[in-house]
Amino acid sequence: MNNSPKKPSRWLIVWAGLSILLPMMAIYIYSCSENAIKIGEIEIKQISGNQDVDLFIAEIDKTKQNPKKQLPKVILDSSGQFIDASLINDTTKHRILLIGDSEIGGLRYSINDYCRENGHKIVLAVEWYSATTFNFGRSDTIDKIIAKYKPSYIFMAFGLNELYARDLKARKIAANKLAEKLKGIPYAWIGPANWDEDFGINKVFESSAESGTYFMSKNLTLSRSKDGRHPDNKGYRAWMDSIATWVQTSAKYKLKMKVPKKRARPYLSPVIIINAAKYRGY
Amino acid sequence: MQLNTVDTKWVNQIFAPLRDPKLLENMFGYSTKEPWFFTEFTFLAVFGIFLVIYATLVQKNTWRKIYIISFSLFFYYKSSGPFLGLFALMIVSDYLFALAIENNQGIKKKILLWLSLSYSLSFLLYFKYANFFILNINSLFHTHFNDQNLFLPIGISFYTFQSISYLVDVYRNEIKATRNVSDYAFYMTFFPHLVAGPIVRAKDFLPQIFTPQIINAALYKESLFRILIGLLKKLFVADYIGKYVDIVHEAPANFSGAENLLAMYGYSFQIYFDFSGYSDIAIGIALILGYRLKENFENPYSSSNITVFWRKWHISLSSWLRDYIYIPLGGNRKGVFNTYLFLMITMLIGGFWHGADWRFIFWGFAHGLALAFHKAWSQFFPSKSNTRFSQIWGVILTFHFVAFCWIFFRAISFQSAFTSITQICTNFNWTDFGGFWISRSETGFMLIFAAFIAFLSPTLKDNFYRKIQTLPSFTWIILVLFVLQIIIQFKDDVVQPFIYFQF
Repeated sequence: MNNSPKKPSRWLIVWAGLSILLPMMAIYIYSCSENAIKIGEIEIKQISGNQDVDLFIAEIDKTKQNPKKQLPKVILDSSGQFIDASLINDTTKHRILLIGDSEIGGLRYSINDYCRENGHKIVLAVEWYSATTFNFGRSDTIDKIIAKYKPSYIFMAFGLNELYARDLKARKIAANKLAEKLKGIPYAWIGPANWDEDFGINKVFESSAESGTYFMSKNLTLSRSKDGRHPDNKGYRAWMDSIATWVQTSAKYKLKMKVPKKRARPYLSPVIIINAAKYRGY
Repeated sequence: MQLNTVDTKWVNQIFAPLRDPKLLENMFGYSTKEPWFFTEFTFLAVFGIFLVIYATLVQKNTWRKIYIISFSLFFYYKSSGPFLGLFALMIVSDYLFALAIENNQGIKKKILLWLSLSYSLSFLLYFKYANFFILNINSLFHTHFNDQNLFLPIGISFYTFQSISYLVDVYRNEIKATRNVSDYAFYMTFFPHLVAGPIVRAKDFLPQIFTPQIINAALYKESLFRILIGLLKKLFVADYIGKYVDIVHEAPANFSGAENLLAMYGYSFQIYFDFSGYSDIAIGIALILGYRLKENFENPYSSSNITVFWRKWHISLSSWLRDYIYIPLGGNRKGVFNTYLFLMITMLIGGFWHGADWRFIFWGFAHGLALAFHKAWSQFFPSKSNTRFSQIWGVILTFHFVAFCWIFFRAISFQSAFTSITQICTNFNWTDFGGFWISRSETGFMLIFAAFIAFLSPTLKDNFYRKIQTLPSFTWIILVLFVLQIIIQFKDDVVQPFIYFQF
């Protein structure tokens, strides 16, 4: 590939610049259009840039419902824990379903401690490794599991694989579909335990979840495992303690979740482990 | 009327970034989380504008130099922010040390060299290795030193090695110390090689500052070709395969032996296409400015033994380790035992250079051992004939050894690496390949495609390049558009940073 340059040309450098700049401009201008071009079945994809994400987030913020905030009737119970007054004498034993990515794999042990303390039963934990909103929203896997196990309460935690996702419009559609699947069943949608600032996935989840059902975990400081991303045992326990306080004081669907006297109890409920690499679900 | 409404909306959307109150902040602010990659579309657009202005300055030596240095510093600032000051300090001190080394003789010269090398290395040792040493001291001596919350300045491993090579070359009288600090700054900051190499030698690069290559049509096509090939390698092949590799390495115990094996092959191709793609873009960008950087990869996976592999893989690093560690230690001049010892030390340092983790040291150790073994084997059993069969067998063996070692490079911990290897050895079933193909046929196709390109003969690659070069200059703009759209069609929405950025 050796060259022996003969003709110096300043215009060639200008042309080189334009060779990069003009295609970039064409791609950018096309990405600003609302209508994508289709050649037969193939859609010519558009780029989703930063400004696109920001605009989309701004749209979400605009449409955010601002329900009249009612102060929860929270009281201090005899053991010194905050709890919603309606739960004090609640003896309902819930059938709890856990759904999520690898985060639920870590959380389920702490949830198990809480459930055993409060008389609830975990009917199934679905650990869908590396799964994203697309897997949960687009597939009928969750519908089938709900139909089979008939839970009375669902804990759902995922999103760690989507912190840097920028295709928020597509994820919002999938998140809405997921929320549709849960209609009629009390649930708590636990936001991802961010190890870094996300590009808006938390806002997408929050806007898709019913008001009062989304627990924002991103601002919690949790100790992490060696990979720097997943919480470690201590982190999962602290995370669950925060979730439990929220769920029995402020969540829309409240659940009795008193702090367990005994921790690290054996986990005896069934678990389904799925790999998104092998099974996308759709 | 309807059309007009749509048009207005479209135009509004096009100019929306200009109305963004954060416009200036986005343009001139820095973000350690979003450094400027060559693959970022914003970088490419800015580079296009940069080139158009560059054309007006190309014939004015001083202005051209100032312009490139300024852009390079801005490029570095966009990813490392205040660490730009540290980098500038290093440049000025290297410049002064080099002059002092050149102007002194004997023991004074030697002391100055060691002083300057210690100074240069101190930044790297602190930012990259402080926590590693603290954690290991704590675990060895049961002490409780707190680890530091350190940000690793991007590219520090690369420019520290460049700084060392410059100081040593001046000491050895192989080059003259630059009289003008801007010349040295140009060499160190030149943005195509700044953050992830290739590691450029002063003796190769400094002469080009004064006489850059003149851009002609052939050079224009070669540079664009290298940029496009680099983008395809990184965004089309490496990132696509990387998605599968990430999933398996997150929890290797959940995958069968066959899937772990495919992840091992996958990562071998991912790291090759990622880093060689980066090098291609760097070489292409430098070329379009009139500067030629040395090749960093030459079909390494076609090597028939590990020694040849290291002559073809990350050439700028392996030759640096040879010239500034192995040979100064004594090379093969101090007896058989010492030759092997020096080889091991060199490769251990090479491993440690990649990261402050025992996994990288082990990786270097394994390669050192393999190089020593091959050296001994070649001495005891000198090859009499170089048959086609022995060549192919050598390529298969070398590739599998290299791929095996990559497991330690990629895994998140030693334990995870051993789990992956255990799965390959004890939970292997041929039928699992069928399952993989059914569920992830696109990844399967990409792996086959990557293998085909990685093992393709260089002659065929050159033929392809020659054919592409016959396209007239004005058609290249369409080629660029086509390649970029191909990338958009296939790329993941989340662009992965270049693997070698972390080193």
